[in-house]
Amino acid sequence: MKTINRILAAAAVASLVIISDSCKKDDGDVTPPVISLEEPEEGDEIAIGGDHGMHFECDFSDNVALASYKIDIHYNDGEYAHEHSKAENLFSFQKTYTDIAGKKNAHVHQHDVVIPETAPEGKYHLMVYCTDEAGNETYIVRNIVLSHDAEEHDHDHDHEHEHEGE
Amino acid sequence: MKRIIVSALLLCGSLSLLYAQTDTLQLEATTIVAHAEDRQIKSTSLVADVVTTDFLEKHFTGNIIQSIGKLPGIQSMDIGSGFSKPMIRGMGFNRIAVAESGIKQEGQQWGADHGLEIDAFNVEGIRVLKGPASLLYGSDAMGGVIEIQPVTFKQENCRYAEVSMLGKSVNAGFGLSLMAGASGKRWMFQARFSEQHFGDYRVPTDSIVYLTQRLPIHGRKLKNTAGFDRSGSITAGYRAGKYKGFVTISDAFEKTGFFEGAHGVPDITRLADDGDSRNIGLPFSKVNHLKVSTRQVISTGRSIFTMDLGYQNNDRSEWSSFHTHYGTQPKPEKDPDKEHAFMLHTLSGSASWRIMHSARFEETFGLSGAWQRNTISGYGFLLPEYRRTTAGAVWTATFKPDSRWTLTGGLRYDIGNINIKGFHDPYLETYLAERTDISLSPAEIADYSNVSRATDSSLGDYSASFGAVWTPFQGHIVKANIGRCFRLPGANELSANGVHHGTFRHEQGDPDLDPEHGWQGDLSYRYEWNGFHIEVSGFASLYGNYIFLDPTGSWSVLPHAGQIYRYTQTEAEFLGGEIDALLPIFSWLDYSFSGEYVYTYNVHAHTALSFSPPATMNNALTWHNRLADITAEVRSTAAQDRVAHNEQKTPGSTTVNLSVNREVRMGPVEAVISLSANNLLDKKYYNHLSFYRRIQVPEPGRNIQLSVKLKFNKKTS
Repeated sequence: MKTINRILAAAAVASLVIISDSCKKDDGDVTPPVISLEEPEEGDEIAIGGDHGMHFECDFSDNVALASYKIDIHYNDGEYAHEHSKAENLFSFQKTYTDIAGKKNAHVHQHDVVIPETAPEGKYHLMVYCTDEAGNETYIVRNIVLSHDAEEHDHDHDHEHEHEGE
Repeated sequence: MKRIIVSALLLCGSLSLLYAQTDTLQLEATTIVAHAEDRQIKSTSLVADVVTTDFLEKHFTGNIIQSIGKLPGIQSMDIGSGFSKPMIRGMGFNRIAVAESGIKQEGQQWGADHGLEIDAFNVEGIRVLKGPASLLYGSDAMGGVIEIQPVTFKQENCRYAEVSMLGKSVNAGFGLSLMAGASGKRWMFQARFSEQHFGDYRVPTDSIVYLTQRLPIHGRKLKNTAGFDRSGSITAGYRAGKYKGFVTISDAFEKTGFFEGAHGVPDITRLADDGDSRNIGLPFSKVNHLKVSTRQVISTGRSIFTMDLGYQNNDRSEWSSFHTHYGTQPKPEKDPDKEHAFMLHTLSGSASWRIMHSARFEETFGLSGAWQRNTISGYGFLLPEYRRTTAGAVWTATFKPDSRWTLTGGLRYDIGNINIKGFHDPYLETYLAERTDISLSPAEIADYSNVSRATDSSLGDYSASFGAVWTPFQGHIVKANIGRCFRLPGANELSANGVHHGTFRHEQGDPDLDPEHGWQGDLSYRYEWNGFHIEVSGFASLYGNYIFLDPTGSWSVLPHAGQIYRYTQTEAEFLGGEIDALLPIFSWLDYSFSGEYVYTYNVHAHTALSFSPPATMNNALTWHNRLADITAEVRSTAAQDRVAHNEQKTPGSTTVNLSVNREVRMGPVEAVISLSANNLLDKKYYNHLSFYRRIQVPEPGRNIQLSVKLKFNKKTS
């Protein structure tokens, strides 16, 4: 049994060497940015043809530094049951913004998304993507409805872009 | 690199210390009684695990990879409850090979949701080589190889049959396999038919949260994960004098549904309970793998000539209700819901000539080649059509200077050509041209709509290996090996350019990629004494041109895509080891322990590589009594906090498993009965390597499983 004990001890040492040796600190940032979308909310109805565009209000944050974000709105074809009869005038919006670059926190309030009168009513996906400087990416999805009957979003803020951050 | 050398030296140091201590022991004989398992372990200086029929029977799950995934250093990447992909020491996909009778299994290994098409019932034995095995199998075997032992002659003049049954509670699954065979003086014949059906699998949760949306799991069953597989195989063998030959025809068919939350943006309406946990609705995949192989062996006293030839047809299709983001794309008239289909033909063969110059020295010369053609169809696009040809020449040698030492070494050179067809998507082109919210130049539109770029790439690289097996005393085995391995880039890595439906990433290939190559050093020590054994192994590898998906930070304009990910090459480090021990406490009680650890490092990104297996540890007690062997096992998995960019960390977990095994002999019938409970406490935990991990689906809940195997064996005169 003595030999066995010695062997076990040696084995433990050998494995400890391997394990402890490899505990090198990774300096690559793998923490993704955080998107906290306040407006629009899940299931919101958005007015078609409004004057000053959809109210978009969102907080972005990252442990190191944000890089950019992207807003993508497209017709929600349900992915699995879409017949493409009204394909020609489908409304879509896609724009990327880099004004949050370098910041750790940014509050974004803007009305860039103007929905033209020709946009068909229906269910749409609103996706917000955000990357940080290391290439970590986060995205979120909101189901929104475009409708002629929706109330235009009233609120007290001025309608300029506003960005706050470090 | 310095780190690797240091740890290797320290490991050497501790082993030599060991040797010094055991030197004082008086051992009478150094001759080793080698049975087949022993021989297989000793025939290679690579760390090898031999999985016996006995182990496979006791750990049978209906899924061969999940069964061997319990062994240290081998991991199972699960796709739901039915199918899995193998991984060896953190390397998976195209970086390891699975071979049957010398023929490398060729399916669509690169895909995260593509399983391995092999009948689990038909596997009688496996040898797993952990480490660089491209010396033996060429490109793709850089991380190791899983060799499925071929069906061969049983004892002379007998007829045999097997009936295997399997029932599982977690997915209400059942399986049946029938086998019959006969082995004569000259002829052998064996046939098997197997079928397994399973329903949606149970998860210990009522909902999952994915992309900030709470998705319900009705009845705690993961909707549309049911599936079935059916396979059959026939082997015939003939021997006469110096000649031995086998022909095997096998076919494996699998169909399995995908949880709808994993395809597309989750939509709660699609996850509503359909009242049927056994139906396979859209989306689903099906695959048929046909394999015809032959082995011809001529053995004279001093040399053995072996020739293997195989043809494989892997026919995979993925089905999902027709959907497109491109307004002008019409719904296909034929098979409107066929999203992707890949038809891969592989013709491969090898010839080797092993010459035993003396009892001490032998050499093997070999040539091998493979020809592949992949064609595609379906309304979506994922992988291009291509033709791939590879050829290699190898020399290996074994030298035994005395009864304690075996030295092995070899060299190999492979060349490969891949010719990838370009693919232009006219619907995407129109879509991009008509979009008003973004404006792209004609060049940018052409760049995006060329979803596969025509590529013709010819590359070559060498493999080498040198190792030693040292048995200083009876019961002690020390192995050391250093090897160079390589892998040719795959079609997706060279030419992809579009959104991958499983990952939602815009993946972009690079036609100028070079072959991946690496050096790996392995060291292992095994000691056996009176039923006790311990094996400790460590490895360190350094890869150049390691291919990974690098986030570029530039946004893709494609719908449902974030930033563009490009296949990029870097240096990568792997480091790790395994421990496996069995300690008989009393004649009726055994304690066994196994553990594994893998460290990966991407030098370019300064992070871990994706899919790095977390450290795991398995403690088990087995009570042998007159009725049965009862095993209680605690499996602990450490948290995986070392992740690649855009990979989630996974918390650790502890699960408890219980199993009862019994072998009964009733006249000519031998029965192996195994009753087991996995995840006995119905714990909710995640597997870092599971396909569904990304969308926060936990691992299956408690599973009670019964497997019964009846073996009939009759001697004929």
